[in-house]
Amino acid sequence: MLKIENLHVRVAGKEILKGLSLQVNAGEVHAIMGPNGAGKSTLGNVLAGRDGYEVSQGSVTYDGRNLLELEPEARAAAGVFLAFQYPVEIPGVNNTYFLRAALNAQRKARGEGELDTMQFLKRVREKLAVLHLKDELLHRAVNAGFSGGEKKRNEIFQLALLEPKLAILDETDSGLDIDALKMVAEGVNSMRDPGRAFIVVTHYQRLLDYIVPDVVHVLADGRIVESGDASLAHKLEEHGYAWIAERRVAGAA
Amino acid sequence: MATALLDELGCGDAVQRAESWRYSRNAIRALSQLDFAPAAGDAVFDAPLREQFEWPQTRGRRLVFVNGRLAPALSDLVDADASVATPTTGVCTLRLGPTAGLVHLVHVAVPGATATRWQARLEVEVAAPRACLVEHQVGASGADVLGVLDIGLALAPQARLEWVSLADLPATTSLVRRATVSLARQAQLRSTHAVFGGRLQRLELGVAIRGEQARLESRGVFVLRGREHADIQLDISHAARDSACDILWRGVADQRARAIFHGGITVEPGADGSDAGLSNKNVLLSPHAEIDTKPALVIHADEVKAAHGATVGQIDERALFYLRSRGIALAAARRMLVAAFCAEALAGIDDAALRERIEALAAARLPAPEGAP
Repeated sequence: MLKIENLHVRVAGKEILKGLSLQVNAGEVHAIMGPNGAGKSTLGNVLAGRDGYEVSQGSVTYDGRNLLELEPEARAAAGVFLAFQYPVEIPGVNNTYFLRAALNAQRKARGEGELDTMQFLKRVREKLAVLHLKDELLHRAVNAGFSGGEKKRNEIFQLALLEPKLAILDETDSGLDIDALKMVAEGVNSMRDPGRAFIVVTHYQRLLDYIVPDVVHVLADGRIVESGDASLAHKLEEHGYAWIAERRVAGAA
Repeated sequence: MATALLDELGCGDAVQRAESWRYSRNAIRALSQLDFAPAAGDAVFDAPLREQFEWPQTRGRRLVFVNGRLAPALSDLVDADASVATPTTGVCTLRLGPTAGLVHLVHVAVPGATATRWQARLEVEVAAPRACLVEHQVGASGADVLGVLDIGLALAPQARLEWVSLADLPATTSLVRRATVSLARQAQLRSTHAVFGGRLQRLELGVAIRGEQARLESRGVFVLRGREHADIQLDISHAARDSACDILWRGVADQRARAIFHGGITVEPGADGSDAGLSNKNVLLSPHAEIDTKPALVIHADEVKAAHGATVGQIDERALFYLRSRGIALAAARRMLVAAFCAEALAGIDDAALRERIEALAAARLPAPEGAP
């Protein structure tokens, strides 16, 4: 589904990703862990198409297409979703209006029929029920005045509603209490599907107790330096990232 | 010629005129190049222009002026507790009675074969405990039209008026409005101005808060594109104790549009207990657009609460990316953010249908279609 080869990305003139390669197949959940400044958020942003991320080398192929050529909205329509580390507050734009505009814009771009109000609300209610969310969320402006936890829940709600093929969760667990963390994990687990892939970017192993990944990667200094199964997350938790650095030094010697 | 037009339109002495028209001097100079003939008060116009103001909602509550002159055939106040008098002096007086409800006051600028101008004076007296005046300026494209409208608005003690002002003009219409408002004791005025388009729109809103505990709430939004030019001059004076003004304006300029916002508040000696607030936020959608905003607070009393803030910025790139990352195309995302930005200034309009109508007009104006001048 997603193939990243030797990706080099500069932000404000500074190289952040330095030859990252990663392959994610449909149905898989990949966790990306790594210390601060390793380039985890850069990866999410560059996949979603944010401005200011200059790809100097390498390629990203998604469903056989060059993902980097597409505008952010075209990537969304193609099924790429980024759950933001810092969801943006947009006062004055009603959440329901926003969600319907987004869903219908994606459907239109894919050549599918737009949902009318009734169809849309039916779908919204189903998703709210699955995630145990109150419909009060719908009447508010997008993320405006939301607590940190509410913002993250809203990201997962959008994920559930938009049903992307590739979901990237950028530190969705940061700042969450244990209940919110479980809710996020339940949301993701309920969406696990042979046709859908997840990239879960996180600092901590805790989220991965609830979302058990197929593959765990360690991102350090702009590259994937170690990959393994779910047990790798526990080793990291135990030994810290310094352990990886030591192993790399040992390997190089 | 430029000075002649400025002498005519500007108030005060030469220095005050020069200062007040500083940012619009070039616009008025360009206008002065035109050779204006008097506009015909009996000009006929076609259905599209008529449809702009013939709202079903205001049938029986509408007063229509064509090029500044009252058009009785288009006017009908049968459902409103309101009366209009047009003595030969040329000053039209509108009285809103105790149960006036909503009155729709329309000025239609109809272009002639060459540049034309009209001038009118309107006095509005409000004794109603609760009334709504919808002042509506429309025009058709064609040769230049310059309208000059003086509005006098007096609110009796305890009168309450919602004044919704919608000026939605083509790029060949210029309009200078000079509103002089006085608020008596405990009177409350909530005004919402929507300033859309126009070659040159100048709005002078002078409000004298003369009575104790009187309150002014001024909301406004201007949305401009092309080479449109708007010049908003607020001049609020607190002359009584415990009076309040709350000013919130939003501005948007795209392409080569130009806007000026002057927010002047003066608290006169003795007007203790006054509470004055001013917020003007603006968004530029193009590197060639320009907005100059200037809050000017002058306080001569002691026990006063005053706050002001004015900004000019760009559209929030983070918000834009967030919307696009969810599948909303760039143009639609920009439109959504601009509409949201304006919404705060229009939220005070009680009548939902009216508010939605104005919101839709604002949204339709921006951002301009790709490739437009």
